[in-house]
Amino acid sequence: MKSLFAPNAQPARLVFTTMVIGQASILLLLWLFYPMQLFPSLGEVVRSLGDLITTQGLIQELWASMTTAIEALAVATVLALLISYLTALPFFRPIAYAASKMRYLTLTGLTFFMALMVSSGHQVKLSVLIFGATVYLVTGMTSVILTTTQEEMDHARTLGMSEWRSFYEVVVLGKLDEMLEVVRQNFAIIWTMITLVETLYQSEGGIGLLLYKQNRYLHLDGVLAIQLVILATGAAQDYVFVLLRRVFFPYSSLGAA
Amino acid sequence: MTAHSYAYRDPILTLNNVSITLNNEQILRDINAQVLDVTRPNMQQGQVVGFYGRSGIGKSVLCRIMAGLVAPGTGTVEVGLAQQPVTPGMVGFVQQRYPLFDHRTLHDNLLVAAQRKHAPADARQHVDAYLERFGLAPHRRKYPALLSGGQRQRAAIAQQLLCSDHLILLDEPFSGLDVAMIDEVKRIIVEVTTMDELNTVIIVSHDIVTTTALADRLWLLGYEHDAAGALVPGATISPQHQYNLAEMGLAWHENVEAEPEFAQFVEHIKQEIRGS
Repeated sequence: MKSLFAPNAQPARLVFTTMVIGQASILLLLWLFYPMQLFPSLGEVVRSLGDLITTQGLIQELWASMTTAIEALAVATVLALLISYLTALPFFRPIAYAASKMRYLTLTGLTFFMALMVSSGHQVKLSVLIFGATVYLVTGMTSVILTTTQEEMDHARTLGMSEWRSFYEVVVLGKLDEMLEVVRQNFAIIWTMITLVETLYQSEGGIGLLLYKQNRYLHLDGVLAIQLVILATGAAQDYVFVLLRRVFFPYSSLGAA
Repeated sequence: MTAHSYAYRDPILTLNNVSITLNNEQILRDINAQVLDVTRPNMQQGQVVGFYGRSGIGKSVLCRIMAGLVAPGTGTVEVGLAQQPVTPGMVGFVQQRYPLFDHRTLHDNLLVAAQRKHAPADARQHVDAYLERFGLAPHRRKYPALLSGGQRQRAAIAQQLLCSDHLILLDEPFSGLDVAMIDEVKRIIVEVTTMDELNTVIIVSHDIVTTTALADRLWLLGYEHDAAGALVPGATISPQHQYNLAEMGLAWHENVEAEPEFAQFVEHIKQEIRGS
């Protein structure tokens, strides 16, 4: 028990798991027995969840949003990697800098321009998500590239590698695991954006639209149920990313404290 | 003190009036040094040469120049029997923290280096031979993060040897090592220099005793004073700071540290450093 309150301690796995279960149980019990007036009770949220699944197609809407999110993330990742890697060439550095700063743009005005450029609602939704995710990913990925040290590059050069080969070995191959981590961290941004974008383009539905409707009619139990579903989906995605990192980059966690 | 018979042949590394200025500060000035192929009867004898210098004097800059990673402001560095201008990859360079590719296993780290000079099948054979020779074969599937300090150092040296042309540069190889580890590094250096007649290990260090014990030639980096007694900017190697340990009878002795002449020479070097 003492180890749970000691700085930088490494409690036993069993102790730590028990602590997490305990904390979750306390939260659940508090919710069960001390409901706040404005906050829906656990029972109401569970009932609402059942209703959303059976009558409003929550699972289908979640699937629609998730496939859109994954599609956007895949395209954004490729684009962001390309932009970030191109920073090796001074000519492209302003582009990466500008792309990184574009994360301060709001999406609301942007959708109008996207609508003018592409034909279908789905394409607009996708374009906005790709744009939003790309600018965040570029920021994270360029920071990863900037951690490259002279020692690392010199090491590759002394092995007779050309500048491009050194870049490929040290930055592309050597930091692929960190790039995956950037993608994992920024996947959450897509979920934040998707709810906004789906309310702007309602023709395709999606969990964002469902959330918007619940919110509009003040069905707080429904809002909370959907939020919890998004939270669980995000946690599952995080786990998948951790698993991918462990499988494809087994060296990644070896040096961690 | 026993003087071994030896002879000098062709130059292997030549530093010719090397100077460099970084951020408007003169770091190195008119460095001249030449490493010659030393031969000894009935044996393969590579070279071990040392560059001494106090911390912050510009040793790492000199290393990068000799490795072809940075061009000197003036002067030239020529390597090999053909005395070609140095380019990256011609001189193996083991940096202070023994970098390896963390995303590759030990075997793959060596293979990526060996493939530079050999066809794939040949490269694999070379890698296997080096893994055995450096006592790393049981760790071939490990990632660098799982290697001990000594294993990592041996791996870094092996990697550079697999792709360099006989010359290998060690930047502060004894820094932060315990006695046992220093002995291990010394053993590796001797091993490397007896593998091939042309193999040359250049040690750039501030560890006087260990470097002197291994080297057959030494250069001491220091500052000079002008006629008025003012310090001349930029470290250099004065003519009186070039030592031929083979000539002095202090090279290639197994336990040279125990010899009184060695102790006297080390003391002399210390005095020179204090005075520079």
